[in-house]
Amino acid sequence: MQRAVVAILLLAVAAGLLGAWIVLRRLAFFAHAVGTATFPGLVVAGPWGLTPPLAALGAGLGFAALLARLTRRGATSSDAATGLLLTGALALGAVLASDVYRSGAGVDRLLFGTLLGLGDGDLWLAGAVALAAVAATAALARTWLATGFDPAGAPALGIHAQRGDWLLLALLAATVVAVLPAVGALLVSTLLVVPAATARLVTGSLGALLPTAVALAAAEGFAGLLLAYHLDLPPGPAIAIVGGAGFALAALASAPRQRRAAGVAA
Amino acid sequence: MTGGPPALQVNGLSASYGPGRPALRGVTFSAAAGQAVAVLGPNGGGKTTLFRALLGELPVAGSVRYGGAPAYVPQTERSRLDFPVSALDVALMGAYARTPWYRRIAASDRALARRALLRVGLGERAAERFGALSGGQRQRVLVARALVQDARLLLLDEPFAGVDRASEDAIMGILDELRAEGRVLLIATHDIEQARDWDRVLCLRGEQIAYGPPAPTLTTEVLEATYGDEIVVLGDGERAVAVQHHAH
Amino acid sequence: MELLHSGLLQRALLELVILGAACGALGVWLLHLRHAYAAESLAHAMLPGLVLASLAGAPLLLGAGGGVIAAAALIALAARDTRVGSEVAVGVTVTTAFGLGAVLALAPDVPARLGELLFGDLLGASTQDLVAAGVLAALVAGALALGHRSLCAAVFDPAAAPSLGVRPQRVELALLALLAVATVAAVQGLGNLLVFALLVAPAAAAMRLGHSVRSQLVLAAALGAGAGVLGLAVSAEVDIAAGASVALAAVTLYALAALARPAASPRAAGRRRSPVEALGTPR
Repeated sequence: MQRAVVAILLLAVAAGLLGAWIVLRRLAFFAHAVGTATFPGLVVAGPWGLTPPLAALGAGLGFAALLARLTRRGATSSDAATGLLLTGALALGAVLASDVYRSGAGVDRLLFGTLLGLGDGDLWLAGAVALAAVAATAALARTWLATGFDPAGAPALGIHAQRGDWLLLALLAATVVAVLPAVGALLVSTLLVVPAATARLVTGSLGALLPTAVALAAAEGFAGLLLAYHLDLPPGPAIAIVGGAGFALAALASAPRQRRAAGVAA
Repeated sequence: MTGGPPALQVNGLSASYGPGRPALRGVTFSAAAGQAVAVLGPNGGGKTTLFRALLGELPVAGSVRYGGAPAYVPQTERSRLDFPVSALDVALMGAYARTPWYRRIAASDRALARRALLRVGLGERAAERFGALSGGQRQRVLVARALVQDARLLLLDEPFAGVDRASEDAIMGILDELRAEGRVLLIATHDIEQARDWDRVLCLRGEQIAYGPPAPTLTTEVLEATYGDEIVVLGDGERAVAVQHHAH
Repeated sequence: MELLHSGLLQRALLELVILGAACGALGVWLLHLRHAYAAESLAHAMLPGLVLASLAGAPLLLGAGGGVIAAAALIALAARDTRVGSEVAVGVTVTTAFGLGAVLALAPDVPARLGELLFGDLLGASTQDLVAAGVLAALVAGALALGHRSLCAAVFDPAAAPSLGVRPQRVELALLALLAVATVAAVQGLGNLLVFALLVAPAAAAMRLGHSVRSQLVLAAALGAGAGVLGLAVSAEVDIAAGASVALAAVTLYALAALARPAASPRAAGRRRSPVEALGTPR
């Protein structure tokens, strides 16, 4: 349990920071899809003798590459293609797990995370990704902000939009892989999207959004872990309901502000 | 403001979005320091293509000569109005090009951004969220951003479209100041009457139709060649207006 | 072939054919109206309903119906958010609902059979269930056929539609209701995670291959039914889970279509888009 707490606190750094950018740059569905797409990779990792993070990363990158190919020139809309690929990955994983490798009860852990099964390697990965996230945000926040604000106008400001975005996506993939052991392939959004979305509701500037997202990810992650421990659940679903409650509270609390803002900007 | 080499020299410029799909052909003109050039033409006629080519975003044939990277003032509708950025944050983006990624934005640039917002009449609104401002105010903030960039050449994409009167006057005043400072302005516009007040007009429709001072250049023939049947010639046969489309 | 000899498989086959055809056609309209994200979200967020029905021993279709209605209401509410944007708000809602379903399924001493709820249990379905699903699917197909002209007007000429007596908003709402019904029909066999494959893959394939709405609808129905047959056949021959097999068959058909027609007409290209713009949700 101690290990899980340390892991969650470390993961909160990367998940909170990345989450802020995921929310701002409209990558929520994509992040969820990447997480889900790692499922077949995780299933074959054991039988094929691969370390799970690498197998997951491979599956995630494969997913992203296929998605980029399918959505080229608008042949299929991005939400349709994203949904199709993630469903295909789930089906593939299900077949591999139930009929090929007979993974049995281990599948729950891959899908929803584990409280007691985290290893040292998972902690090291979480720490490394946290460092990478902090460094990248410090270096690239301006780039990411300007690119998101006005993608067409960014190059004229001297912004290397393409380079910055590739780095963002790479970091997103790494963070997804890092949170997988704790929350599972189906619920990466609980750390990568929900806390940052809640933070977005209660902050008004980027400078406030980033630390608030990290703090909420840590708090919700920790509370979720306690809940999981007491109810004998995997962490993913437990953190999900804590996060959902947090978002609902923040949404209610900020509703009057939203109505006022809508009136002013009309 | 006469004499010396032109501040902007374009020769035989062609730009395309892909092999065999030229979007703009044969553009040749030059502008001296302190001149404002109205860029006229129908939607899809090449105004935006010209800007992108000048910004180096498209592969081009032909030559372009100007001193220093241009500043770009896009239409405000394209930016994300829900982003957590204040007017000052947006103005500060003008300093990004000269700030290496490992440095914080200099205090001098912050002061510059505040002064730029003052110049466009938004000094008191520096801390307000960009998306909460009116359309005209947002357009002014984008102009302030270009001021912070301190470029010799400015490209403005329909800066007066859908803008309130106060903002229009403020922007017009700034543009006059910029001309007096010896900068070159390229202003894409649908307003032919307004174009007659600038120093030069450039008419584009996939290629260069005409270039020169407004009075002799903006003849009915030229306007018809530029706008096709989007032109409406008014009673006295001397003036014409272009039908405006809002195809964003 | 074993497929044609077993009574259960015969019934399952029939159900899948009707379901595949109905979902295929429905999917074409969903894609034209850009509701793929809504379809995916609805399927995921309905999990609590399924779990509660399973725990209470109630018919799955009942839980599915309740779950879908609750999910639809929450998603509709979230989609109107202006602060974080509808994509993010719906994502949060779906994550929370799905997590709640998992909590309900895994917490009790006698856990609900979560795997079957997620991935389907086609061959464990009773004849009643299969018949009910088949009837629902046939209803969807019938509604689409009857409403064809209204749909065309609402989707392709919304400005002129009212003059033709068609109200686009009503039509869209009706279509989403059909989505809910189709999801309920398909969830028994495919599970709530895989329903999306049958709803969108045949349609996405048809949109690459066909150029008129009519041809797309016919193609999608055929591909959907084909995915059902193919999936079930493979599942019986190679002994893999039926729902996943059907989902994989549908996605494979889409992949083949994508290979065959990788976008013949280049759109007005414009500038190079940054990778995040291309992969993220569009405005």
